[in-house]
Amino acid sequence: MSKWNRKHLIGIEELTTGEIKRILKLAKVFKKGIDGDPVRTDYLKGKRIVNLFMEPSTRTRIAFEIAAKSLQADVISVAEQSSSLTKGETLRDTAMNIQALGADAIVLRHSSPGSPLFLSRIVDVPIVNAGDGAHEHPSQALLDLYTLQERWGNLDGKKITILGDILFSRVARSNFWALSKMGAQVTFAGPSTLVPKQFESMGARVCHDLKDGLEDADAVMLLRIQHERQSSSHFPSLSEYTNIFGLNKDRKGWLKEGALILHPGPVNRGIELDSELTDSSQSVILEQVANGIAVRMAILCLCTNPGSLSNL
Amino acid sequence: MSVTYLKGGRVIDPVNNTDEIKDLYFENGKIIKFSQEDSTKKVKEVNVEDKIVLPGLVDLRSHLKNISGGQAENISTGTKAAAAGGYTTILLMPDIYPRADNPGTIQYIQDRILKHASIKVLLCGCLTKEAEGKTLAPLGSLKENGVVAISDSPSTTQNNQIFSKGVEYASMFKLPVIEIPRDYSLSDKGTAHDGPLALKLGLGGYPRIAEELFVQRAISISKSVDTNIHLSSISSYGSVEMIKEAKKRDVKITADVTGHHLNLSERSINDYNPNFKTTPPIREEKDRIALINGLKDGTIDSVCTAHQPFQEHEKNVEFDLAPAGVTGFETTLSICFETLVKKNSFSWSKLINIMSTNPSTILGQKKEQLAIGSNANITIFDPKLVWYYDKQNRKSEATNSPYKNRKFIGKIINTFFKGKEIYTFK
Repeated sequence: MSKWNRKHLIGIEELTTGEIKRILKLAKVFKKGIDGDPVRTDYLKGKRIVNLFMEPSTRTRIAFEIAAKSLQADVISVAEQSSSLTKGETLRDTAMNIQALGADAIVLRHSSPGSPLFLSRIVDVPIVNAGDGAHEHPSQALLDLYTLQERWGNLDGKKITILGDILFSRVARSNFWALSKMGAQVTFAGPSTLVPKQFESMGARVCHDLKDGLEDADAVMLLRIQHERQSSSHFPSLSEYTNIFGLNKDRKGWLKEGALILHPGPVNRGIELDSELTDSSQSVILEQVANGIAVRMAILCLCTNPGSLSNL
Repeated sequence: MSVTYLKGGRVIDPVNNTDEIKDLYFENGKIIKFSQEDSTKKVKEVNVEDKIVLPGLVDLRSHLKNISGGQAENISTGTKAAAAGGYTTILLMPDIYPRADNPGTIQYIQDRILKHASIKVLLCGCLTKEAEGKTLAPLGSLKENGVVAISDSPSTTQNNQIFSKGVEYASMFKLPVIEIPRDYSLSDKGTAHDGPLALKLGLGGYPRIAEELFVQRAISISKSVDTNIHLSSISSYGSVEMIKEAKKRDVKITADVTGHHLNLSERSINDYNPNFKTTPPIREEKDRIALINGLKDGTIDSVCTAHQPFQEHEKNVEFDLAPAGVTGFETTLSICFETLVKKNSFSWSKLINIMSTNPSTILGQKKEQLAIGSNANITIFDPKLVWYYDKQNRKSEATNSPYKNRKFIGKIINTFFKGKEIYTFK
């Protein structure tokens, strides 16, 4: 297991398998704590974590808040509507001010791809990427990995299909890196306008036929159709999407028995995923959410204490 | 005034088929025939042995933003930077404040040029009012006030009717129309080449076809109106093929490419540095090779700087929010020397054709040359000088260069405009 020497978590692409395992191992420790075992959690005592969320978010923001509070940090959450960015202040200036006010780490959600990397070069404090445009969403991929690992032990040779709007999805990109680094094979499936063939250059399998995408998979991860990011030319309508690519009870039969269903949320019930399947025993959607806290505790802990914590 | 004597340089003058070691003399702004033995005039000798003596370069596309100052660059700093890169003529694009879309503004700009420019600044007027692509600008009146070309650059007129009528109307005044071929409907959210890298980085793609469709539009309109259209900043290999075919059919299409498109790789945006964000974006290696080959076989006529200065804070933002455009006055010749002459065996005469002679022809101007009686617009290049494009050497006020702090071999060391030394490397 390699040591964690990073100050920032910008993306999964640059992480080694050892670093990924390091986070998952620490997350396991914190998960035990959440489940009631006596685990030390005061690693961020007296530290100030600022959640700078420039895009709407429920799960991720709350999970980071809970994670930071569980580590005894002071947490301040800033949303775009309440920040000076609405008054024309640049992200650079906002972040420098936050640093000047004594932040010990910034968790950033932003619509511009590359913005966490940009900030990491400006401020001295750790930057944790909580989603940057269509680029990466590392904490989501790590919690997905954690969830699958908890179920399967290891991911070697497992086949995972990520279905839906891949083009605009940071979750798909981060998960691709995370899953393939851990030995799984990733298929991107969905309409050709949202799943361009060029994804093959990253190493993913690309498929535009739902049955083909589902029948081999050990797990299928569904993504929300992000109407807000697409122009109307990417596909005709949500109902067309549901007709051709929605996972419903009939198509569930195309899945292998016991195949897991994941979704990073928010789920649009009845569009990409049938409501009943959302709540079925195959669905691990709520496990994902719960694991998100332990994983984010591990991330915050490691980024604010790089090089130490080797005893955990 | 004394006679200036450029001693022993390699003189490149494609207009007169010259590439040889010879002495040059100039006096009162003109190149003269002179014999020191027969004259008592005072002679200022400049030893240029091992240096290359070139006619002044001509840039087909420069943006200076604000002619009165207060912005990243103005006429004074901009022309000084151009001189440091060997340029003695630039075409100033109309995206300045105020916009060059009416005779009054053109007169005002001409006045500022007269007061502040250290080289020749030609003016390009807007094709449409405010370059908004909706109503034609008064092209005839603009010409009466001295514009030599028409363009909405860096914007692109989207409406086919307005563009074709504009081209037709401009042709009546023999004004070339310059266009950056770009279909916005295919590239409005595009900040990077629509390829695997942009896909991985999560950046919106600006595909080749956004350019190629408008290259085809320009070819069709040029053919139907039988007039010149100049396509600026070609970036796609498909565009090169289309222009090559059109030229075979004698369509009056000309084209340029920027120095940075010949030299940079799309990988340069891998860490989201906005100083590599350009319009059109830097594409893939096969595009870069096609652009170089296009220059070699004459499909592409010229290399422009596309010098587009921004203030540091304008570029120091998130990549997708940063404006596109980079500076180029001071680095383009050095880049072309490295990329075209050294790595792709272009002759110096060929390079001067594409950086001076052809741009003059496209703009209907007298070609720069080093013959007796010509204006002494001369620039001297030291092919061995090792230098860095850093704060100390930079003349431009703007810092948005993709070559910030880069090492170069070969540099302009002197530039003379009408005999006056306007740049000296120190």
